[in-house]
Amino acid sequence: MKRFVLRRVFTGILTIIIVFALNFVVIKMAPGDPITTLMGKENNSPELRAALEEKYGFDKPLPVQFANYLKTAVKGDLGTSIIYNRPVSDMIAEKVGATVLLGLVAAVLAALIGTVMGILAARHEGSAYDVIASGASYTFNSMPAFWLGLMLIILFSSLLGWFPSFGLSDTRAGYTGMAYIVDVLRHMFLPVLTLTLVLLPQYFRIAKSSVLQVMNEDFITTLRATGMSEKKIFNKYIFRNAILPTVTIFGISMAYLITGVTLIEIVFAWPGMGRLVMTAITQRDYPTLMGIYLIMSISVAVVMLIVDIVYAMLDPRIRYE
Amino acid sequence: MEEILKLKDVNVTYSNKKKQVYAVRNATFSIYKGDSVGIVGESGSGKSTLAMALLRLHNEKSVRIEGTAEFEGKNLLALTQEEMNAIRWSGISVVFQKAMNALSPVHRISTQVEDIYHVHEPKAGKEEIEKRMVNLLKLVNLPERVYHLYPHEMSGGMLQRVAIAISLLHNPKLVIFDEATTALDVVTQGQILEEVVQMEKEMDMTRIMITHDMSVVAASCNKVAVMYAGEFMEIGYVKDIFKNPMHPYTQGLLASFPSLKGENAKLSAIPGFLPDLSKECDGCIFAPRCPKATKECRQRKPKQTETKDGRMVKCILYEGGMSNE
Amino acid sequence: MDKKYSVKRLWKTITGDGQLLAGIIGILLLLLLIVLAPVLATENPYHFGEDVLVGLGEKGHILGTNHMGQDIYSMVIYGVRTSLQVAVISALISGVLGVLVGGVAGFFGGKVDAVVSEIINVFMMLPSFFLILLVIALFGNSLYNVMIVIGITTWPSNAKLMRAQALSLRERTFVKSATAMGETKTQILFKYIIPNGIFPVIANTTMGMSNAILTEAGLSFLGLGDPGIISWGQMIYTGKQYITTAWWISVFAGIAIVITVLVFYLLGDGLNHVLNPKHVNGRE
Repeated sequence: MKRFVLRRVFTGILTIIIVFALNFVVIKMAPGDPITTLMGKENNSPELRAALEEKYGFDKPLPVQFANYLKTAVKGDLGTSIIYNRPVSDMIAEKVGATVLLGLVAAVLAALIGTVMGILAARHEGSAYDVIASGASYTFNSMPAFWLGLMLIILFSSLLGWFPSFGLSDTRAGYTGMAYIVDVLRHMFLPVLTLTLVLLPQYFRIAKSSVLQVMNEDFITTLRATGMSEKKIFNKYIFRNAILPTVTIFGISMAYLITGVTLIEIVFAWPGMGRLVMTAITQRDYPTLMGIYLIMSISVAVVMLIVDIVYAMLDPRIRYE
Repeated sequence: MEEILKLKDVNVTYSNKKKQVYAVRNATFSIYKGDSVGIVGESGSGKSTLAMALLRLHNEKSVRIEGTAEFEGKNLLALTQEEMNAIRWSGISVVFQKAMNALSPVHRISTQVEDIYHVHEPKAGKEEIEKRMVNLLKLVNLPERVYHLYPHEMSGGMLQRVAIAISLLHNPKLVIFDEATTALDVVTQGQILEEVVQMEKEMDMTRIMITHDMSVVAASCNKVAVMYAGEFMEIGYVKDIFKNPMHPYTQGLLASFPSLKGENAKLSAIPGFLPDLSKECDGCIFAPRCPKATKECRQRKPKQTETKDGRMVKCILYEGGMSNE
Repeated sequence: MDKKYSVKRLWKTITGDGQLLAGIIGILLLLLLIVLAPVLATENPYHFGEDVLVGLGEKGHILGTNHMGQDIYSMVIYGVRTSLQVAVISALISGVLGVLVGGVAGFFGGKVDAVVSEIINVFMMLPSFFLILLVIALFGNSLYNVMIVIGITTWPSNAKLMRAQALSLRERTFVKSATAMGETKTQILFKYIIPNGIFPVIANTTMGMSNAILTEAGLSFLGLGDPGIISWGQMIYTGKQYITTAWWISVFAGIAIVITVLVFYLLGDGLNHVLNPKHVNGRE
């Protein structure tokens, strides 16, 4: 267990270093000189140029440059947005809450619903339910999340008028207390539904295939031969063995989730990181884009690390390795 | 002697949309209390299928089982799954081939043993179960601490012993060893067989030993049933059959013994392959490979013949009440 | 005789797997669309007509027009070209890189393998979409950049598969005997390891094609698509502003994406059943 966790932590740290290195390489390789890249296309103040040159020292040898870059980043300085003239880390900190709220709710819902649906499909393999659910899982898997979001807006907002299509709450109404929470939930409904629908197929498929696989394991035959009830065999032995891949998928899908959240936030004008990405792109605000890439990569690495440790606790084969 | 299991015309057929495979045909024989019967045959001869059928472990949608198999007066093949559950493990238990996969990898032995014990003794306490299991572990020469381990913390030999101990939890009248020692090295296999034989003397149990390895039969059984392509060819005492095999297939099997190693080893003394089990066959199923086959052998099925020394042989050669030679 | 037999077997394999059959039929239809686009399209999709934001079936526009007066139906038809181009070229880059890196790591083993595997693990953790986005934003949003960047950020899963294949293949007798015969490592890698181990990578690359199409669409939706080209992602992007008034702009482009991606998934899954001994499930 200890060795396993240490190895994972090592990979995590390596990931973060590589992310920084990639960022650094991108700055260095981008067309034009790095300072211009960091300053943004529309900006040409000589003082800022001097300040940035001082800070990153791009005239020094490469390794020194990289060390310098790492040092500033580790201190939490991810650069300054030229457009807003504010530290990128502050801007991200402001928006990250809304993004995490959306992503987490959808990921948990997708994992729960998808797993239950997958288990049911495995237990009734070949039934009408299985065929329909598998087909739907294929289709939603093939859907661009942002497009699905638009379709749901057409259906639930434009046609039916049941749910609001943008924002986190109705700012003009000025709700407080319970009314505010209800308002936020109503605003969350469509983005969460969209994200859940596109994340769900992975959980559905992994749950279905691993339940099917475990049901064919020899130890299940042994347990049947002991006269144990099918219910007990399923609830205790099949479930516990089949749930392990789902945990892994939860970790692996983090990168996919973050991409999906960002795009969906743009569709629903959700005040999270996605909005930040969009404005940064249109304004060519590169330091902000890089900061977001760094933060997202690091969060994904951290979440995957946690998921791996949870996995190790669930699977004794790793615990004692 | 008291019959413990009586098979009559048992047929097991795998069927799907495309074809039917007659895996076991017309199995008719009895096992008596205290016997240890080795069922031998090549892979694909239907020996494991028969064991699975007796325990009703097949997916009943794709497998058809006919005939009767009376165990203590009850026809196993006609019971509901619930009625069957009452017999499983307390009446008949089984030790499977792949001990490595015979237990859930994410649960401790103790957890699994407790759950299995509770199937028939729902009120048993933890200490009682542990005591029982530790006693059984001693019988197979394993230390107490094994009880609290996970399967992956043990070697193949240890796991096989654990599986044997678990099979004895509810004092079953009949234990089926389905290739239970095949995956082990020769030394461990020998030790385990010795332990099993020793145990049997103390515990009054009846055993079926399914194997492709004649040496396992020689080391641990008093009777042997030779199976070929889903049919029993010859059944009798080990001492008689090893000395004087009557059926041409048994003769071939023993001629290639002890060189027959591994499931897929070829029978050196018998050229040819197993027949296609999805086809009906008019004559003797072994006739195409039999060195002594006559025209008659290809035209009609042989009957089961009893010989003087109490063995059964299914071969036209002996139908006239001929002696052993 | 021999050839006839193998053609027959191929046919049997294809018709025996529903997903593979559906995928192959789908691909053939898409290829047909590419070839016949000029015939099938009712207008030049690059032509800015006078009918702006015209609805379904109005003024001879089967699926209406967008705010620039372009014919949606013709744009959807021509969009196949862009999507397939992105899919094939990026998957090819990703496949070649993955096979080389994974093959070398698995075959040479030792320290090379340890380092490469660690790098593969790291890259599989990274949210590649944001790296792609960053690079495209910096280097310019031409379709070529998009294809190249998708290719060089998605190779790790291919490398992982190829590495596993190479690891098991190098223990096989025919590879060992080739070593004994004095063939060089590079020769063995290209002559035995890669040709024999490439099948799971082919299946995975096919899956990767669907992801490439989705990535290109995502980039276009962020305004990072190639402005000089018709792409479904960009249609959705421009249609977003008109979602309540002119829904057809993004709806049909999206349906086209779903169908195309589905075809590649089916093909990839089908190939997986047929080519991959282990039936690796899932994607990414």
